[in-house]
Amino acid sequence: MTTGTYRQWVSRATPGCVVILLDRSDSMKLAWGATSGSLASGAALAVNNILLDMCVKATIEVNAPVRHYFDVGVFSYGARITGPGGEGVESAFGGALTGRGLVPLPELAANPVAVREEPSIDVMPVSVKMPVWVDPVHGYRTPMCQAVEVAGAHVFDWVSAHPDSFPPIIINITDGMVTDSPHQGATLQDWVKRLTSIETSDGPALFFNVFLSPTTSQEIVFPSGPAGLPLPGPELFALSSELPPPMVENARADGYDVRPGARGLAFNVGQSTLLRVLQIGTRVPDRSR
Amino acid sequence: MHAWPVVFSTAKKGNDPWEWEDGAASAPADVHGRGPRFAVADGATEGFGSTRWAMRLAEGFVAADVELTGRSLLDWASRAQHEWRHDPLLSGASGLELYKLDSVGAFATFLGCEFADLDGRPHWRAVALGDTVLFQVRHHRLVAQFPEMSADDFGVNPEGMPTARDALPDVIGQMRFARGDLAPGDLVYLATDAFAHWMVRERQKDEDRLWSVLSGLNHPQRFQTLVDDRRAAREMTNDDVTLMRISVAASWPDQLVVCV
Repeated sequence: MTTGTYRQWVSRATPGCVVILLDRSDSMKLAWGATSGSLASGAALAVNNILLDMCVKATIEVNAPVRHYFDVGVFSYGARITGPGGEGVESAFGGALTGRGLVPLPELAANPVAVREEPSIDVMPVSVKMPVWVDPVHGYRTPMCQAVEVAGAHVFDWVSAHPDSFPPIIINITDGMVTDSPHQGATLQDWVKRLTSIETSDGPALFFNVFLSPTTSQEIVFPSGPAGLPLPGPELFALSSELPPPMVENARADGYDVRPGARGLAFNVGQSTLLRVLQIGTRVPDRSR
Repeated sequence: MHAWPVVFSTAKKGNDPWEWEDGAASAPADVHGRGPRFAVADGATEGFGSTRWAMRLAEGFVAADVELTGRSLLDWASRAQHEWRHDPLLSGASGLELYKLDSVGAFATFLGCEFADLDGRPHWRAVALGDTVLFQVRHHRLVAQFPEMSADDFGVNPEGMPTARDALPDVIGQMRFARGDLAPGDLVYLATDAFAHWMVRERQKDEDRLWSVLSGLNHPQRFQTLVDDRRAAREMTNDDVTLMRISVAASWPDQLVVCV
């Protein structure tokens, strides 16, 4: 059961918060289904697309700053490319945003690492020039508990500063099993429970999961029960928040058959579905007219 | 007979006043016999340059040589699109802004109204696209609503005028037209969707009270208070709000109040 109302409008007075946890473990090097790229490159492409999507939505007029509708963080877990290197959790942003946690949307829009040709997430084999904030990286294991812990610390501080905003949305993109549970005596379930106990006046934080598979398998999107989900589907189902009403509306408008109790979980998804799920999961109530 | 408008407006709660993305304009009768014109447009928040588009539509309709026919409106809207797209302001656009201009553009609901034959058989004619609504009130009773919309009809993908050139002919084909007789003492309201939606629901509850409140609005602060209170009570959506009230009378008012 969802316990919040999840109806707060996103505005500059009450901005939203989106955190993406990006698996950068070694297995992300595998090719993604029939695509020529790896899971890591496909996931980075989808993340860059959703960040661009958010920046575009907040671009309202010429010579006007991008509006501060969201604070956004992308944290990677697995291979670290800054600091001491090795395995760990870090901000996945590069360039001027290296090491930054939650970044206001106007600052994000102004500081991509690069603007370059990227393959389009589409059936058409075309490239488009787009800003890039996150590069594909893979290596080491899957310290998902640490990632949830880091996200939780940022989300906790953010909620203190934005007590009446739409609750934070945390989307975990992974292809594997957690390798650091228990972490500091707490299991992954415990860490997620701590994360989703953080709440605004509009409801508790939302934790969604997207599981990527290198093989072409049947996609399962927003299931209402764990039955029939291959491993680690049942565990991810239990960890995933129920979709709140506005996202149920988003998903149905996007053509998904969303049943009561559906969770924010997408399993064995391809690239285009990953992007659609990110769009549904980050589209919160706004005043579109 | 004479007609004069007053416009009340406010931006979304949380936005600054200059971020109001509606447009409203009026023009008196001209020397060629055309009656006074009034227009209100509601720019889509998800668009790019929506305020400029809504204002261009409203100001253009009352000033341009456009008739209330599909053909004339198509020519006028095409010119408006061209002018919006070639606004000198855009010479300073960033890559992100140009991307949104091309991929999304702007969109606005629109209602344009002309009063005609005020010294003969006075009447109004109007054209509408979307959920900006005209209400004509006489003796505290609604005598016309255009477009006719129930409370459930608001907020679901309204039609509107796009800046996308290819879409324009089909959109013009969706425009609706109406007319009605005018009488001294009538009040005609043009309201964007959030306020119009509230009016429709409020009228079902207590019509006398609704028209008393709206006819008694005499200062922008009273309008702001009304909107703030209704938003706080969750009776009105947090949206940009515009209400144009047009008074119809046999003679000009003997007092003019300017609020600064």
